[in-house]
Amino acid sequence: MGRSWWPQPVTTQASLMASNWLLFLCAGAVVALIIWGLVAFALLRWRRKRGAATTLPAQLRTNIALEITWTLVPLVLVCILFIYTYRAEAGVEALVPYPDVTVAVNAYRWGWSFGYRGGPTVQGSFSDVPQLVLPRNETTRIILTSSDVNHAFWVPAFLFKRDAIPGRITVFDLRPEKDGTYVGHCAEFCGYAHALMGFSVKVVPPADYARWLKSGPS
Amino acid sequence: MTTARATLARQPRADLLSWITTTDHKRIGILYLTTSLVYFGVAGLLALAIRTQLARPANDFVGVHTYAQLFTLHGTAMIFLFVAPFALGLANFLLPLQIGAPDMAFPRLNATSYWMFLFGGLVIFAGAATNEGAAATGWTAYAPLSEIKISTGLGQDLWIVGVFIVSVATILTSINFITTVFVYRAPGMTMWRIPIFAWEMVATSLLIFMAFPALAADLLLLFVDRNFGGHAFDPAYGGSALLWQHLFWFFGHPEVYVMILPYFGVISEIIPVFSRKPIFGYTGIVLAAFAIAGLSMGVWAHHMFTTGAVDDPFFSFMSFLIAVPTGVKFFDWIATMWGGSISFETPMLFALGFLVNFLLGGITGVMIASPPIDFQAHQSYFIVAHMHYVLGGGSLFAIFAALFFWWPKMFGRKLREGLGAWSFWLLFIGFNVTFLPMHFMGLEGMPRRVYTYDATGVLPLLNAIATAGSYLMAIGVLVFLWNVVVSAFDRTPVGDDPWEANSLEWATTSPPPEYNFDRLPPIRSDRPVFDARHPERDPSAVR
Ligand SMILES: [Cu+2]
Repeated sequence: MGRSWWPQPVTTQASLMASNWLLFLCAGAVVALIIWGLVAFALLRWRRKRGAATTLPAQLRTNIALEITWTLVPLVLVCILFIYTYRAEAGVEALVPYPDVTVAVNAYRWGWSFGYRGGPTVQGSFSDVPQLVLPRNETTRIILTSSDVNHAFWVPAFLFKRDAIPGRITVFDLRPEKDGTYVGHCAEFCGYAHALMGFSVKVVPPADYARWLKSGPS
Repeated sequence: MTTARATLARQPRADLLSWITTTDHKRIGILYLTTSLVYFGVAGLLALAIRTQLARPANDFVGVHTYAQLFTLHGTAMIFLFVAPFALGLANFLLPLQIGAPDMAFPRLNATSYWMFLFGGLVIFAGAATNEGAAATGWTAYAPLSEIKISTGLGQDLWIVGVFIVSVATILTSINFITTVFVYRAPGMTMWRIPIFAWEMVATSLLIFMAFPALAADLLLLFVDRNFGGHAFDPAYGGSALLWQHLFWFFGHPEVYVMILPYFGVISEIIPVFSRKPIFGYTGIVLAAFAIAGLSMGVWAHHMFTTGAVDDPFFSFMSFLIAVPTGVKFFDWIATMWGGSISFETPMLFALGFLVNFLLGGITGVMIASPPIDFQAHQSYFIVAHMHYVLGGGSLFAIFAALFFWWPKMFGRKLREGLGAWSFWLLFIGFNVTFLPMHFMGLEGMPRRVYTYDATGVLPLLNAIATAGSYLMAIGVLVFLWNVVVSAFDRTPVGDDPWEANSLEWATTSPPPEYNFDRLPPIRSDRPVFDARHPERDPSAVR
């Protein structure tokens, strides 16, 4: 853990999401500390003392200025959070006009197939987990669908998932920036072997990728 | 005064037949509460089985088929048969008393609702007795997974029928509540004097009335697909694999507030009593309830950010906005305690537990309303943590607060304070030990609804901690049950108003007579019982 409790971003898109997360984490921590602090202060300061004379405290019911303040301040706060959210999401979902690599991903009970444009189609199920190979520092377009029920393509290290829905095609771009092998899961419950419906993603230098695409999976 | 009135109150019949045929709102309320608590017990045992399976990776406590049924029935029972119906039961008992009415507007409809609720729940669980077992598609039953091609078992059909029966019962009850509060208030009980709990139930009932028909329609479509050759959710025949989710969450998000607004009401009743002050910002709290209800009708697709098929920014912004009225309530509760004379009886302990836990659930709720965060958190254990902080740390703690607070009114004797504090601390610590680690599981990449997980890394440790916490919670519930048993032998009469409370239910005997009130105190503010206790004060004073 550490790393603000969030995996280290390894794609261009993930960096946007990681900074958005950090903003919300800080805003949430500040709000929590203020509110829990106010509650704790009130409890300590105004707890009923044993044996104290039971006089009725002031029966204050309303204070319009205060109430307007604690309506407007959070309103402004969520508007600010929304602006950052909007920007981050626009960046994450932006599609480049000409992706370097295109892979058609099909999810099914309980496996994945990865069809590379101008290359092989790799397929595997839970007994033989398939691997998606991607070039580093190039943009890969994923074209995602499902052939039976709803699944979801999730690579936790990419901080990203997208549903695979039968009868629908969804498209997104990934631009990995670090070589390595990453774990992927199906994230939408799809039946008994859902927990085992994994895959792996291997990010390699572009030259290795080109070689791999020609020779096919070893 | 108390004893004189107690002799006046005719003792109602107490045999089994009189309970089965009753149309008395108090008895129906107690039936609702008891039934929902039994369903809670069952759903809690299912949760313990889930946590035991997940105590270590690749565990074989239950098989994969059983595991899917476990989390489906756990979620279904907690949501449809416990957290929401408990509020309906509590409102059944309280609403007529709080507004000074002799009963609900439609007593026989009320009894019908209860029996439909009980029966619907039994139908859902009956699936466990069929050959292929109970429904196993989660409480959300996403189509096409729940279609006949994949989920061939009768259990899924029984689930559809059972949930349908419960949803119709809930709609009928909402009509009853709205009519009762609008039409049956006692003289002097103007709308701006009804207790906050009654207001929250009005908002809840409007939400039920708008949202539950979408669920009923969704269930009907699925039933037709499964049994009569329909193709509503089958893309191979021009159906839509997304339609189920739209209809389900059009119901499902308002349902979250159906499970929360009543408990905002409970907290708003309890905090003033144990702070010796009136609720701060009455009007603001009521308006906030309706703001939440209105906004919650326009946020359903925040459950669908990762489909890539909805307008994420719109639903994100609408969801953020809900934080504003919710914040108003939090500030009003703190202001109610501010400058008060705060005591820590068990209902107050649970109410404070609600404040602490629910705040965290609210904050993570704002986080996952941001699509770039939801892209990671969605359908992971982070979501499991978030919703349990809302419904477990929030609603469940308010439920225990309500039980301890209104128990003397329902049964004429208090639950014991010492045991109450024990059950509070066990549940509070157990809850946080169970669910806090789940945030980190989700961010580390553990999907929900899995029966095993990666044996390397931190997941085994976090899961072991969560499982230990769930056992601690179970002990807390057992202490509560023990409290119910031993306090049943207490013979000390509690009197009409053991907590020095504010609202009208505390003006009658404990338990109240069948017709509720021999006579009503004058109602000149939202605190008629407080006014009667302090004749020296002007009821319209705001300081
Ligand atoms: Cu899947």
